[in-house]
Amino acid sequence: MRDFLRGSSFKVLIITAVVLLGLIIYTASAGGSLIASILGFVSTPMQSVATDLTDGVTEFLDIDGLTKDELKDLVSILQEENSQLYDKLIDYTQMKQENERLKVQLHIAEQAPENEMRSAAVIGRDPNDPFSGFSIGIGTLSGVSEGDPVITDRGLVGVVSRAYATTSKVECLLSENVSVAAVSIDKHESGLIGCNITMASSGLLRLDYLTGETALVEGDIITTSGAGGVYPPNLKIGTVQSVEKSETNVSKYAVVRPFEDLASVKEVQVIISFPGQVEDDADSQPGPDDSEEDAE
Amino acid sequence: MRDLNRIVRSLAYVLELLVLFMLQETPGLLPHIYGARPVLVLPAAAVMAMFEDETRAMAFGVAAGLFCDFGYSGVLGFHALVMGVLCFFVSVLVKAFLQVNPVTAVLTGFLVLGLAFGAQWLFFYYFRYSSPGYALRMHYLPKYLYTLIFVPLLYLLNRALAEALPSDGS
Repeated sequence: MRDFLRGSSFKVLIITAVVLLGLIIYTASAGGSLIASILGFVSTPMQSVATDLTDGVTEFLDIDGLTKDELKDLVSILQEENSQLYDKLIDYTQMKQENERLKVQLHIAEQAPENEMRSAAVIGRDPNDPFSGFSIGIGTLSGVSEGDPVITDRGLVGVVSRAYATTSKVECLLSENVSVAAVSIDKHESGLIGCNITMASSGLLRLDYLTGETALVEGDIITTSGAGGVYPPNLKIGTVQSVEKSETNVSKYAVVRPFEDLASVKEVQVIISFPGQVEDDADSQPGPDDSEEDAE
Repeated sequence: MRDLNRIVRSLAYVLELLVLFMLQETPGLLPHIYGARPVLVLPAAAVMAMFEDETRAMAFGVAAGLFCDFGYSGVLGFHALVMGVLCFFVSVLVKAFLQVNPVTAVLTGFLVLGLAFGAQWLFFYYFRYSSPGYALRMHYLPKYLYTLIFVPLLYLLNRALAEALPSDGS
């Protein structure tokens, strides 16, 4: 044992542990780091290719939705087609996807021309994240910064939590770290959109800090209010599914079903600039501690 | 020649970790089971540690952990530290007490993954979010069991690699 502790390999272990502890402290305090950007440079092209390949395959074979027999039938039918037709079909699919992506971008841009946006593909979803966060294939080189809202044509998806040179991490609305000042467009009642792990596993959100006499009912549409300047106003979020009593006080909360399927979104738009945006989004991101004041 | 084998094997390990990282990160590639997906780089590093000396085992553990850190939190170092230390001791244990066979590989994976995911749950979830018990049952436990399935496959892959490219230290 004494020999082991005095051995060179144990000393290497201690030195490595100290260096890594320093790295943890540095990246936790300084945010994006050079090492993460380098890893991003290496992994982003490969992740993009892997994601495109997977999307292409699942486009033809919807493995989740088909039975084994249906898949066999589908394979036998596909084998009858010649290689030229495959090539044409792949070209057509790629053109179609590109066309749809551009149409979505144009549609969103027409709805809110004052917002400056960047289109991005979801290139990674880490299995360690319990809140369905994801990585996108653009970063600071494309103008993305931490705190930028992330949307699709169906509504708000999340917020950029880390921005590296060529990639960014997005925390989606299902994360407990994300809070959004929201309002009902019909009833003009405001609250704070948040989530917890139990609701995240069902893909639902909760609109907190409603009064005990709230008039919200099932089907009411919830959008961002724009309060605080973190998110632009009038971004769609979802519809009220039910209204429940709060577990801790006399207020109520609404269970909100988001318009977008947050756990499987593939293409997003990052709003890098919008009118009324506060200077430093990361610092003004409403957190659990100041959420009550924001809602008021 | 044996040194060359060692270098080639190291490159193969790095490439293996990179490919496994791509596989685990690619959306829609590996199916969800009870809402969980496997973390492939961690068992790969644990199995590699069984075939390498402690310093190299630690290096591959750190590499696998850095991939994990990059994919998950952006806070680099946590998984690298945990996996570096675990892989170091796996290598020491294998050298001193254990045979290298599928049974010990599964036991090693069972222990290393349990400690790694336990540390992840404790430091990344328990102190930060609500309902830690629910998260442990519904996210971390399925992910742990799902990842364990890949240990025998990764053992066979890395054993083949170690046998194809033997070196004095292995």
